[in-house]
Amino acid sequence: MQYDLVCRPASTAVRFALDAGESITCEVGAMIAMSSGITVETTSKSRGGGGGIMKGIKRMFTGENFFLNHFTSQQSQQTLLIGPTLLGDCIHHPLRSGSMVVQGSSWLASSSSIDIDATWRGFTSAIFSGESMFWVKCSGTGDLFLSSYGAIYPIQVDGEYTVDTGHIVAFEDTLQFKIGKAGKSLIGSFLGGEGLVCKFQGQGKLYCQSHNPPSLGKLLGPKLKPR
Amino acid sequence: MLDPNQQFRGGVFHSSIPDGRIGADIRITPSEIIAEPSAEALTVMDPSQVARMPRWVIPLSECQVDLGGASGRMVFCRNKERDLTIFCEERGFAAMLGDRSGGMLSEQLHVVKKRQAGENHRFRFWLTVGVVATLLFGVIGYYSVLAAARLAIAAVPISMDEKIGSMAMQTIEKEQKLAADHPATKFVTEIVDRLKPHAAIPEMNFKVIVIESSEVNAFALPGGQMVVYTGLLKKAESGEQVAGVLAHEMSHATLRHGLQRVSQSLGIVAAIQFLIGDAGGLLALGSQAAQTSILTSYSRQSETEADLEGARMLHEAGLDPESISAFFDKLKKEDGDIPGVLVWVSSHPLHEQRIESIAKFKSTLAKKEYTPLDLDLATVKESLK
Repeated sequence: MQYDLVCRPASTAVRFALDAGESITCEVGAMIAMSSGITVETTSKSRGGGGGIMKGIKRMFTGENFFLNHFTSQQSQQTLLIGPTLLGDCIHHPLRSGSMVVQGSSWLASSSSIDIDATWRGFTSAIFSGESMFWVKCSGTGDLFLSSYGAIYPIQVDGEYTVDTGHIVAFEDTLQFKIGKAGKSLIGSFLGGEGLVCKFQGQGKLYCQSHNPPSLGKLLGPKLKPR
Repeated sequence: MLDPNQQFRGGVFHSSIPDGRIGADIRITPSEIIAEPSAEALTVMDPSQVARMPRWVIPLSECQVDLGGASGRMVFCRNKERDLTIFCEERGFAAMLGDRSGGMLSEQLHVVKKRQAGENHRFRFWLTVGVVATLLFGVIGYYSVLAAARLAIAAVPISMDEKIGSMAMQTIEKEQKLAADHPATKFVTEIVDRLKPHAAIPEMNFKVIVIESSEVNAFALPGGQMVVYTGLLKKAESGEQVAGVLAHEMSHATLRHGLQRVSQSLGIVAAIQFLIGDAGGLLALGSQAAQTSILTSYSRQSETEADLEGARMLHEAGLDPESISAFFDKLKKEDGDIPGVLVWVSSHPLHEQRIESIAKFKSTLAKKEYTPLDLDLATVKESLK
């Protein structure tokens, strides 16, 4: 399988060149276009039979879809084009061991060998950080494609690193994630407009996005006419 | 029993590894932790790099352990120079480490766990303080808005009440309205005329209409326009009972409860918007609050105020103040708590307390001979059949 990130960085799409028998698992609704030799199979399972209805339901809690779309090429030299919902960038992360914890809507596609599951992140982080209670947990060996709102940038964390809530795309399982205040004083943190932030501890890779969807919502919401 | 040859799946961080991290199989011997690249990790690696992948060893005697990772249960083992990390999340790994190191590493892990528990504890404490402070701020803010709205109303001219009242009146169905010369309309108008001179705002333009409906209900709009449903007249036993209801409703108008209610809802919405910073739905919400709140419910405090003010009006007009409680007492006794049927009573809470407070208020008034109404309710009831 070959891939190519096109139209970077503002409205990135991923173009796959698939040979006969190769397949890729995508978020529902991500497909933009495809060659005629590709078949689509929609199930709640990972390809190869892992998971099922329970995993589908758990996935729904993360903000992802109950179903997964598996695109399988029946002929050689087939093209598949997929893209995320929000304007922004996409990246490729080769998953070699362990797992990657991905923020709900950032998972775009992955090799069929990767297992897509939900992981519980706790009430406190959900209520106070505005992040989801469940995150997507991708484990196995293969390729992972993540999308962001705005630009995406990787950080190699060693020690501690602080990210504002809403700006996390994904992080490796070796990183610990805690909610904390931005400044020394809690009141100062709120007056500074930062409020609570996410603190990462440990060693591993972290992907952040330059923009965050809730801020867009806050900006647009009041300007919309009530129905 | 621990199996001494057990292999754990985990990983290694080291600068010699491309990308810095690799999946590994881990073994713990009585003196060392040994990690070797897992077969899976090697298959996706460039063949030229595979040959260069060594195995990584940390002697147990210089191993430093830590807990962390996304799950908080991942065990990290670092060498003395802290440039090599072997990590594993599998069950049994920590126990095996403790066993092989003769308890030394379990001791270390225990210290780390205790420290983390302490941090979590402190965080929860401050979080609770924050939440309580926010709630307190909200409650104080809520009551200040209510008080401020009351004060602001005093500065608004009565003509504003009348405008709002007329607007609300337009939304009420007029098809079932009885004619001005209908005995029922004449009946209630006469009662209002007798009470009018004793209202707190005598210049208020009181008007009353009767609407044909089986609902037992009556209400006053801001500015003094009132609506009585025929269902209420049919249920009443005497003119005094109707006068009690009307006095209560007129008091809502003179005490300007409708306007208060609107401004309070608006004030609270405005305060919330100020705090949250979203000013968009303000108008929509405001008009909605106005429509529903004027016509339906007042606060418990407003009800008590209207009861006492109504009782005062009745007393001054030469009618028994206990007429107010007489009517809903009768309904309550006859029909019990049937939701929906007794609209007028059901929107008025704490039945016993009201009767008591009216009786208490009456005892504070100067003794007076009450002159009953010279009106014939029976004829009115006949005309409604």
